[in-house]
Amino acid sequence: MTPNWQRVKDVFCSALEREPAQRAAFLDRACDGDQSLRREVESLLASHEQAASFMETPVIEAAAQVCGEAPRESLVEQRVGQYEVLSELGKGGMGVVYLARDAKLDRKVALKLLPAYFMEDRERVRRFEREARAASALNHPNILTIYEVGQSDGQHFIATEFVEGQTLRQHAAGALLKIGEVIDIVLQAAGALAAAHAAGIVHRDIKPENVMVRPDGYVKVLDFGLAKLTQRRTAPVASEGTTRIVFKTEPGVVMGTVSYMSPEQARGLEVDERTDIWSLGVVLYELLAGHAPFEGATTGDVLVAVLDREPTPLAQWREVPADLERVVCQALSKEREERYQTVQELSADLKRLKQRLEFEAGLGRYAPSEDGDPSGAPSSAYTIIDPVGRPTHESGDGRETRAPRIAEYLLAQVSRRRRTAVLVLLGLVLTAASVVYILQFARGRQAIDSVAVLPLVNVSADPDAEYLSDGVTESLINSLSQLPGLRVMSRDSVFRLKGRDLDAQTAGRELGVRALLMGRVVQRGDGLSISVELVDTHDNSHIWGEQYSRRLADILAVQEDISKSVTERLRLKLSGKDKERLAKRYTENTEAYQLYMRGRYFWDKRPGDVDVLEKAIRSFNQAIEMDPNYALAYAGLGDAYLFSAASLGRKETMARARAAAKKALEIDDTLAEAHTTLGFVKMNFDFDWPGAEQEFKRALELNPNYATAHQFYGAYLIQSGRSNEEGMRELRRALEIDPLSLALNWHAGSMLYYTRQYDEAIEQFQKTLQLDPNHSLSRVGLAQAYLQKGKLAEAIRILEEVTTARPKAAESRPGLAYAYAATGKRAKAQELTNLIETSAQGNVTYHLARIYTALGKTDQALRWLEKAYDERAFNMFFLGVEPAFDSLRSDARFEALLRRVGLEN
Amino acid sequence: MTIRASAPQEVTQMLLDWSQGDQQALDRLIPVVYGELRRLASRHLRRERADHTLQTTALIHEAYLKLVEQRNVQWQNRAHFFGIAAQLMRRILVDHARTRHRVKRGGAAMRVPLEEVVVAAEGLNINLVSLDEALTKLAGVDSRQCRTVELRFFGGLSVEETAEVLRVSAATVKNDWSVAKAWLRRELLRGEGRDT
Repeated sequence: MTPNWQRVKDVFCSALEREPAQRAAFLDRACDGDQSLRREVESLLASHEQAASFMETPVIEAAAQVCGEAPRESLVEQRVGQYEVLSELGKGGMGVVYLARDAKLDRKVALKLLPAYFMEDRERVRRFEREARAASALNHPNILTIYEVGQSDGQHFIATEFVEGQTLRQHAAGALLKIGEVIDIVLQAAGALAAAHAAGIVHRDIKPENVMVRPDGYVKVLDFGLAKLTQRRTAPVASEGTTRIVFKTEPGVVMGTVSYMSPEQARGLEVDERTDIWSLGVVLYELLAGHAPFEGATTGDVLVAVLDREPTPLAQWREVPADLERVVCQALSKEREERYQTVQELSADLKRLKQRLEFEAGLGRYAPSEDGDPSGAPSSAYTIIDPVGRPTHESGDGRETRAPRIAEYLLAQVSRRRRTAVLVLLGLVLTAASVVYILQFARGRQAIDSVAVLPLVNVSADPDAEYLSDGVTESLINSLSQLPGLRVMSRDSVFRLKGRDLDAQTAGRELGVRALLMGRVVQRGDGLSISVELVDTHDNSHIWGEQYSRRLADILAVQEDISKSVTERLRLKLSGKDKERLAKRYTENTEAYQLYMRGRYFWDKRPGDVDVLEKAIRSFNQAIEMDPNYALAYAGLGDAYLFSAASLGRKETMARARAAAKKALEIDDTLAEAHTTLGFVKMNFDFDWPGAEQEFKRALELNPNYATAHQFYGAYLIQSGRSNEEGMRELRRALEIDPLSLALNWHAGSMLYYTRQYDEAIEQFQKTLQLDPNHSLSRVGLAQAYLQKGKLAEAIRILEEVTTARPKAAESRPGLAYAYAATGKRAKAQELTNLIETSAQGNVTYHLARIYTALGKTDQALRWLEKAYDERAFNMFFLGVEPAFDSLRSDARFEALLRRVGLEN
Repeated sequence: MTIRASAPQEVTQMLLDWSQGDQQALDRLIPVVYGELRRLASRHLRRERADHTLQTTALIHEAYLKLVEQRNVQWQNRAHFFGIAAQLMRRILVDHARTRHRVKRGGAAMRVPLEEVVVAAEGLNINLVSLDEALTKLAGVDSRQCRTVELRFFGGLSVEETAEVLRVSAATVKNDWSVAKAWLRRELLRGEGRDT
C-alpha cells in the first residue's frame, strides 16, 4: 500500500532536521510501526544523502559553463593573463594545452586551460588549486615544472615548463627501443615518482602520454596528482571496444587508460603510491615488448586481463635479461603487498641491472659474478645469469635507504647538478626578496606587506568601459602578486567589495591588509585616463598617487604598462631606509638563507614526525654558523626546539627554545617570529598565560601576516578559556595566510576538537589528510572526534590501523588505549596501557591520565597528572579544555591542578 | 507559427487575463514567450565570451522586459511570467533533448546552441527526457513540488523567488525542494536500472 504522501513528506522533512545519527530513533517514533511509511522515508533519505549537488545548478547556467569551452580555437593569438597564446599543442584530460609565450619573462610555456564545466563545483576548484599548488611545489629535474596556477577572465589555467620533444608514446612508436634506453627512461620516470611520493603525491595516471622525452634523452613526467581531480567515481564499463579509450567522465573528456590501471584502481579502491609502481611496470613492459601486457578487444577484456591474467613472459617478445623480467613481474604483482613497496626499490633493482649490463657490455660476452654466480657461462650481450633466490633488493640496501624527503632531494640535486646556476638564481631571488623587505620596513613599523587592489571605479559615461576598469584591476593584482613576500588579496576577495562605498580603514579591516590601491578609470573618446592612489589603511593617509593618460588603441598593452609602472613605483616609493636593521634580521649569505628555508620546510612537517625536527634544528644551526647575526635563523631554531623530541628532556629543549628566541630578539627586538616563539614557551612551559598573550599580541602587531602568530594566539585564546570564537577566528586567519601548511591544518582540527565542534573537527582532519593521507596525528585526531560522535567502530578501526602502521609513534598507542578504555574494552585497554607505561616517551604521563580517567580510575589518573605537571608534559596546557577530563572537573584535586597551570575554572 | 510582433500591451493584457482565470489567454501567451525565450537563449548561448555567465533569471527578465509593457509592471504579473517561463524552459529543453537524440542517429548533428544545454545536463548526470517523465509523474503525486522543480531547475529561480511565485513560505519551498530532489533522483536511478 502506498503511504500517504503528505505524511511521507512531513516525516522526511523532520528527519532531515535531525542529526543523521538520531534519525533512526526518530523514525522509530514517527512511523510507529508503519513499515511502508518507514521504507518510503528511508529510501528518500538515502536518495537525499547522495543527492547533494543533484539539480542544484539550474540547467541553463550549466549550459553557459559548457559554452565557456566553445571559443577554444579562437584563443590562438589571444592573451590569457600574461601569456600570449601561440598555438594549440593538444587536448588532454585536463582540457586544451596551448603553446604560449610568457610576455613578462619572455619564455615559452605550455598553457593548460581547464574546461569551464570543471569550475561548476567550487569545492572541486578549491581542491584543484590546492593539489595543483602542492604539485607545483615538486621540484625535480624529471618533473615538468609548474610555473603558475591561476585564472584570468574566469578562465583557470596552469602554466608549465614547455618541453620540446615527444611523448613517450610517440618516441616509442616504430622499432623497439634498446634495452639500455628503456631502462634509462624508466629510471628517470621513477626518479620523478620517488620525489612526488616523498611529498605525498601519487600520480595515478602514469602512461606513455604523460611522459615526455626530449631530443637529448631527458625525461619529464607530466600532470602529477591531477588525474584524480578530474575523475568521477564511475566504474569503468566495457564500451566501444578499443583498449585506449576508457570511460567518459565529463563531456568530451577521456580519462585515463585501463591498460595502465592497477587492479586496485580498476576496482575503484583507494590507491597509494604502489599504483604508480604498477603503471610504471606496464610502461616498462610495453617499451620492452612493443605490446601492452594486458590487452583485449574491448575495455572489459582489458580489465579482466588486468585483474586476472598474468602477462605473456617478455621472453616471448624479445630476448631480455631474466633479472629484468623479474623486475617487471614484481612491479606487476596483482596484490600490491607483493609489489615493490617503494619506487626506490624498483629503481635500485633497475640501476643494479643497468650497471651490470654496462659492465657486461664492456666485458664482452661474459656475465659478471658479482652476485655470487660463479658459472661465468657465456650469454648474449643482455642475458645475465641470474643469481639464485629472491631479488637482491630484499637483502640489499633497498629497504634501508628510505626515500629522501623532497627538500633533501632537491638540495642534493641542486648541489650536484647545477650549483652555479642555482647560485645565480638564488642571487636573483634574494634581490627580489630584499625589495620586499624594504617594502615592508620602509615605513618603520607600518609594514606594507599586504595590499589589496580595490576594483577601479569606472567613471566614464559608457558603462561598457567597465571591462576596462576590471581588466586593469586584475592586471594590477596579477603583477603585484609577483612581488615575493607581498601578500596581495585575491580577485575574489576584492571584487566582493565592488560597488560598495567604503573608506580605506573599513575596507582595510575587512580585507586584513595594510595598504589599499584604489583608483578610477575615465574613458573619453579614444583617450584613457587612469588615476591610482596607495592608501595606508591604518590612518587613511595617502602614501602615493599617480595619474596615467594613454590612448585606448591597445588595451592590453595599456593594462600591462600601468601595472608594471605601479609595481615599480610602489617598490621605489617604499624603498630607502632601514637597511641596517634589515641586514641584521636577514642575511646576505645565500647559503645561510638556503639553510634557513630548508629548516622551515622541515619545521612545517613537524606534527608527528620527530626526525624532521632534528633535521630542522641541524639546518637552523648550520644557517647560524654561516651567519651568526641571522636573527631569523635563531627564531627558527627556537621554534624547532619547541616541538622537539624528548631525548634531551623537556626542560632542556624548552630552555634552548627560549634561549634561541631571546638571542633573536637581542639582534632584532622587532622580530615577530621570535616573539611568537617566546610566547609559546611562556604558555606551554611556564604556564604564564598573560606573558604569552603579550608576546603574541606584540608579534601580531609587528607582522599581522605571520600565520604562526595567529595560530598560537588562537590556541592561547581557546586553551586559556578566553574565547573559542576569537580563537577559531585567529586560526582561520592563519589558514588564510598559509592554507597548505600541514601543521596548521592539523592544529586547526585539534582546536575544533578541543572546542568540541566535532563535526567541524572531522571535516578539518579529513581536509588535512588530503594534504597528506599518511599523517598519523590527523588520523588519530579524526578518530578521537569520531569517538566523541559515537562512531566507535570507525574510531577504533582507524586507531588500530595507525597503531599497526606506526606502533612507536607517540600518539598512536595512547590514542588506541584511550579508545578501548572509553568504549569499555577494558582488558585491551589495560594491556596496551601496561605497554605504554613501560615505554619512556614524552607526554606519556598525560596520556596515561586520560586513559585512566576513561577507565574510571580517578586516583590513578590524578597521580599521572601530578607527574605530568612535574615534568611539564607538553600537553598539560590543554588541561582546561581536554574533553577526556570532563569527569574529573568537579574533583578538588583537579581544580587545584588547574590553578597550578594558571587556569582557574 | 508567427510569434513576432506582439505588442507589449498585448502580452500584458494576456497576462492579466490569465491571472484572472482566462485559460485561453495562456494558450495565446505561451507561443509568444516561447519564441522570445528561445531566441534569447540561443543568442546568449552563442556569445563567445566565456565570462558572460548566463543566468536563467536574467534571461527571463530580458524576455519579460521585451514582452511586457514596462510601465505597467506589477509583481503579480512578473511572478506569473516567471512561472510560465520556467514551464516553457522545461518544454524547450526537453523537446530539444528529444530531437537531438533523433538527429544524432541520423548523423547530421547540427551544433545548435540549445545543444549545449542538453550536453550540460548530461554533464550534471541528468537526462532531460527522463527527468521530464519523472517530473510528470511527480506532478501526479504532488503538483506543487513539480512546479517548485520547474521554477528552481528550469527557471533558475532562488528559493525566495520561487516562494513568491507559488505564494508559499520559503520554508515550504525548501522542504518541497528537498523532497522533490530526493524523489526524482530515486526515480531516475530506478529508470537507469531498468535500462541496463
